[in-house]
Amino acid sequence: MTPENGSRYPVYVRKIRRTWWLRTGPFRRFAAREITSMFGAAFSAIMLLFLFALSRGTVAYGSFLRWLQTPWSIALSAIILVAVLYHTATWFRLTTRILSIRLGRRTVSRGAIAAGLVLAWIAASALVAYFHVWF
Amino acid sequence: MGETTMTLKVARYRPEHGPSPYFDEYEVPYREDMVVLDALNHIKDNVDGSVAYRWSCRMGVCGSCGMMVNYVPRLTCSTFLREFYPKPVVVEPLENFPVIRDLVVDMSDFLDKLKDVKPWIIRAHESPIRAGEYVQTPDEVDRYKQFSMCINCMLCYSACPVYAKDPKFIGPAALALAHRYNLDSRDEGRDERLDITAVDWGIWDCTFVGECSVVCPKDVDPAAAIQRSKVATTTKAMMSMVWPFGVERDAEDRRDA
Repeated sequence: MTPENGSRYPVYVRKIRRTWWLRTGPFRRFAAREITSMFGAAFSAIMLLFLFALSRGTVAYGSFLRWLQTPWSIALSAIILVAVLYHTATWFRLTTRILSIRLGRRTVSRGAIAAGLVLAWIAASALVAYFHVWF
Repeated sequence: MGETTMTLKVARYRPEHGPSPYFDEYEVPYREDMVVLDALNHIKDNVDGSVAYRWSCRMGVCGSCGMMVNYVPRLTCSTFLREFYPKPVVVEPLENFPVIRDLVVDMSDFLDKLKDVKPWIIRAHESPIRAGEYVQTPDEVDRYKQFSMCINCMLCYSACPVYAKDPKFIGPAALALAHRYNLDSRDEGRDERLDITAVDWGIWDCTFVGECSVVCPKDVDPAAAIQRSKVATTTKAMMSMVWPFGVERDAEDRRDA
């Protein structure tokens, strides 16, 4: 009840629990959205290791490829894929709320923005698949 | 036949009676058309006159009666008892604010922050009155109208975990209001306001939890306002790096409306 915040009255300041983000459904979903970004970072780290192995020559590259094919590595990739898909979906949804594109006097609808994002995603995936499969 | 009643658990804090808050339980008459504020008024008038709380208009306009109703920040004048009946309703003071007494919180921090963001029209040069109004098209009004509907009820601050963790955070309503003036075609104070809002404890403190917009009784969507401020600020910074002649403000800063 100390006026530690410089208040003029004897006030009661409530404490925030360390586990506040587990308290409600929306807070848990927010935490899930933020935590799944770590899996995106993990994927980037694996990509960097991949490039590093490539720079060290054929033997290192070959052994890295073999590691990628181990069940543990495949399981890790599967988990990363699910987490990153979830993260992407949440941000696609949020982007429709943030982006406000005006064409002349009209504002582009949220549905149109979402469709644009998904189309861009499909196009990027198709491009990656093209290089991966046919090159 | 007896009257239908329901239980209201009201948080009490009376500094002269002890250092910690506690709960008092009251049985109140229940009718389908009663709101939580009606129940509080019933207690105050008929049961216990010592319960302290703020209210005024009873119609969701004044923004005085915001409280935690079953752990969610709500305007008690627009929260019907039927939503909870027959379960008890827990009424507490707005979270994230120091409690002065019972359901009354200290709102001075919010009022200071509201003033800090300069929520008024700033002109580089004031035109004389005989020059007439600063005119605006309906289209120009539409760009900021949503963000001007705020009634300063502070529910968004109560819902915001960022404000809970960092009391320095300027917070949803004040930042949304700053954005509202930045979008106003009559205003020329954007740069002045950015010095205040585009800081670590301003728009960049927000992690887009989004709960401020969920609890807002006026659909202001402060979360979107803050993210759009971030986009507008970043666009401006990027443009000033690549565009050697300086950024023409109208072309750029209204676009993210």
